[in-house]
Amino acid sequence: MKTRRLIFALVAAGCALWLTFPLRATAQVSQADFNALKETVQKLVEQVQGLQQTNIAAQQTHEKDVEQLQELQARLAETRQMATNAEQKSIAAAQTQPLPRGPIDEATVNHNFMIMGDAEVQYARTSGQHGGFALADFAPIFLYRGGENILFEAGFDTTIQNNATNGPGYTTTFDLSFAQLDYVMNDYVTLCAGDLLLPLGTYTERGAGWLNKIPDDPLAVDALIPGSGVGAELRGAIPIGDAGKFINYSVYGVNGPGSADGTGNAGALDLGGNVGVRSDGVTANLHSDPSGGARLGLFLPFKPHYDLELGISGQSGEWDNAGSQLWSAGVFDAALHLGPSFEAKGEYIRTRYGSDDLGQISQEGWFVQAGYKLAGLNLELPAINNLELVGRYDALHDGLGTSTQRYTVGCVYYITNTLLFESDYEFLHSNDPSQADQLMLQLSYGF
Amino acid sequence: MNTSKKLKALVQTIFAAVIAAMVIGGLASTVCCAGPDSTSAPTNSVTPKATAPEATTTVVKSRLTGAELYSMHCNRCHPERYPTERTSAQWKTIMLHMQVRANIPTEQARLILQYLQENSGR
Repeated sequence: MKTRRLIFALVAAGCALWLTFPLRATAQVSQADFNALKETVQKLVEQVQGLQQTNIAAQQTHEKDVEQLQELQARLAETRQMATNAEQKSIAAAQTQPLPRGPIDEATVNHNFMIMGDAEVQYARTSGQHGGFALADFAPIFLYRGGENILFEAGFDTTIQNNATNGPGYTTTFDLSFAQLDYVMNDYVTLCAGDLLLPLGTYTERGAGWLNKIPDDPLAVDALIPGSGVGAELRGAIPIGDAGKFINYSVYGVNGPGSADGTGNAGALDLGGNVGVRSDGVTANLHSDPSGGARLGLFLPFKPHYDLELGISGQSGEWDNAGSQLWSAGVFDAALHLGPSFEAKGEYIRTRYGSDDLGQISQEGWFVQAGYKLAGLNLELPAINNLELVGRYDALHDGLGTSTQRYTVGCVYYITNTLLFESDYEFLHSNDPSQADQLMLQLSYGF
Repeated sequence: MNTSKKLKALVQTIFAAVIAAMVIGGLASTVCCAGPDSTSAPTNSVTPKATAPEATTTVVKSRLTGAELYSMHCNRCHPERYPTERTSAQWKTIMLHMQVRANIPTEQARLILQYLQENSGR
């Protein structure tokens, strides 16, 4: 017990001393130190306050960043949703709609319709007459191709003409030049049927509109042979070797010429009539038998732009309603090209027909024409290079007493390769007083 | 009457002179252009897209190309048209028409059509 009291006393004394001595030590810090310490503490307080403000600003920035991040996340989610929706829609569309059609390869299209042709406007001045403009021709050709081997083609001519002398107005005519169905049976035979351009020579088939370099047709072609006939034809070509040579042929049967008044009188011969439907509506040929005709041609190229073509053709058949008179024609044709600048061609036509009043009548006519493109001179003058000089001599003896010779000189100016300005002057010598010299200007367009 | 005869003679003389000039010009042109380059492509044609290899050209020299046949046949009746003026399908129709009208052998018409289609507008 004593020991405990002693320990307790010692502890108490120790505590008293501990409390006493520190108080004395504190009391010993100087005022200057205290002020310095105080100043230090104040600085520390200021720094702490600054850090707190910085921390607050950082917290605000952080909060804004978090808001922006949340906003971006929201937008990203929307975008993903939209993409998902679009993908689902496209998948659904692909499943429900047919695949889009690919572009059409025109070369494989099995039918096609198009229009070709030509148009000409003329100015003509006949000696002793007033000169005048004329819408000479608008001649579209309609082509319809059905498949690889079938073609329907029809050509028309539109012209206008004043009505009777001193009468008002004018008349518009719309003529069918030809209308035929072509069926290519094989490489060597083509069947043509309809209103056919007849292969009597080559001018009739290849001389229309802008193809000819002289506005007027040859006299003999216009007067002695029909341009077309209603019937059927087999034609084709057989190549000879690989150098471009070939033989071509045509064999046809058509209604043939008719009689304008039904009689067999010489003046009644109608080369352009007899289309198979009479004026009273009855379908019939005007005479009992059709006419037959053929052409055989030989094409001999030496090299590109250098070639010679020769042909012989003919047609024969009844022409009067009684079927007692025959009309026959024979044509020899030739065409020569010597380079891209020079061309010469011509035809000799001879016809013969019987008549009730004048007996046998023999007719003949011919033409030869040449053209030279001045581009062949290599002058390098554009205006000259586009010019082609042309000339033609043609003659007609109609077997009824009229003989006409015509000399034509002129030129063609190629405005483009399809737009031509043609001009020529025709010198006529005839025992027919109605025939006179003539100046012709023509603007031709091929399309 | 004498005046008429003189005029007729003068016209015939002028006409004969013009024809003779054209024939002589054509023949002169023939002689001048008869070099190796005179077998070139047609005046209005474009350069063919498909060209044969050199060796092949040498071997089949005598066989005419579509471009050569095109210039040879089309120029017989009218100025050549540019292949780009028509579409491939239109050329097919036109060539069928021309094959019948000009009586061109089918094989030659095929070569011409191939040339035109390869160089057509579209």
